[in-house]
Amino acid sequence: MTVNLTVDETNPPLVVLLTAQYVKDTSGISVQEGKETTLRVSDSVQFCDVNSILRYLARITPSLGLYGSDFMEQAEVDHWLEFAYRRVSGQSSLTPALEDLDKALALRTFLVGYTVTLADLSVWAALKGSSGWPAILDKSGPFPHIHRWFSFLSSQAPFNSVGSKMCSGNT
Amino acid sequence: MQKTLSESKRCSPITVKSLPVRSNHGPAALQSPSNRAEQRSCPQWRRANMALMELASLEKSLGFKKANKYSTQGNNKTPILQSNKGAPLIGLVTIASHLVQEAAQPELLGRTAEQRAVVRQWLEYRVTQLDGCPKEDIRSILKELNQYLEDKVYLAGSDFTLADILLYYGVHHIMADLSVQEKEQHMNLSRWFDHIQHYPGIRQHLPLVVVLRNRLYTGGHH
Repeated sequence: MTVNLTVDETNPPLVVLLTAQYVKDTSGISVQEGKETTLRVSDSVQFCDVNSILRYLARITPSLGLYGSDFMEQAEVDHWLEFAYRRVSGQSSLTPALEDLDKALALRTFLVGYTVTLADLSVWAALKGSSGWPAILDKSGPFPHIHRWFSFLSSQAPFNSVGSKMCSGNT
Repeated sequence: MQKTLSESKRCSPITVKSLPVRSNHGPAALQSPSNRAEQRSCPQWRRANMALMELASLEKSLGFKKANKYSTQGNNKTPILQSNKGAPLIGLVTIASHLVQEAAQPELLGRTAEQRAVVRQWLEYRVTQLDGCPKEDIRSILKELNQYLEDKVYLAGSDFTLADILLYYGVHHIMADLSVQEKEQHMNLSRWFDHIQHYPGIRQHLPLVVVLRNRLYTGGHH
């Protein structure tokens, strides 16, 4: 059974592209461009909410561990999905969210557990796509832990390719 | 070991300005819980034993099926590997680098010329600065490592290398003795350490050191 992902061609959600890139070898999804972002699982089931799409993709690829390794980690991942959605995406001031994020990353390499999860994908993508982030990225003083985490992820393969695709799309 | 020592004189690992400032007002916790007698009475022997266990663990994490036999040499009990192809290999770093090559994982020595140099630098740091470091200098080493790791996930930046493995083995006994508060004071070091000890296949013979993942002493000065 193939899962069909359609991505809004005018405004592709970065986090969906990134997650699709992550799971594409394991899940056998097919990606095409279209009018809106939807994940078609069967004739009767489809998801159009970004977080629902992410959760579904993570669950059909358990070997990648994108949803954490136990219930506790799964709850943490859910926390960061909400965080990315409500406190980073489309916010005019990022500062309060970044203060919390920096504190959380002080003793962590990845947001949840010891490997990449949906939490990292969604918060990274939300920052990358946010208009206020480039200005903060240029300043090296505040949020040292976010800086380290963000640039580490940016250097890794799927992040790197999706990030550069987005930049070339914008110019 | 002669080889590694003479090489190390040429370059000192990181900026020397932050190096040993001896302070006598270090916290009691650094000296207290494990002033184990054997540690003081016979440090060479302990170090030699550690080096041999480390090499055995390294072999396992690199995926070797059969363990090599090592002997030791001199007062420092430097490990020696008698290879069946040529001259014996002497010294922890030399043998470890050789094992990595033999396991066909040369990327663990660095991917670029620059990264290879950085890896080399930290391997030397391990054997020249960290091993046999007097107790009163440990604090400055912790401080130095903590500062260096603030903007890095691994010692060589974004890639996991042999330097991470050997420095992790080398600082393990120090980290195991730190209090919760001290671990938080050196949070960059603690974060790196916790990440490496959970890295697949690396920990092997060593006990897990508890590192809290949320800050407790938020009002602290860093």
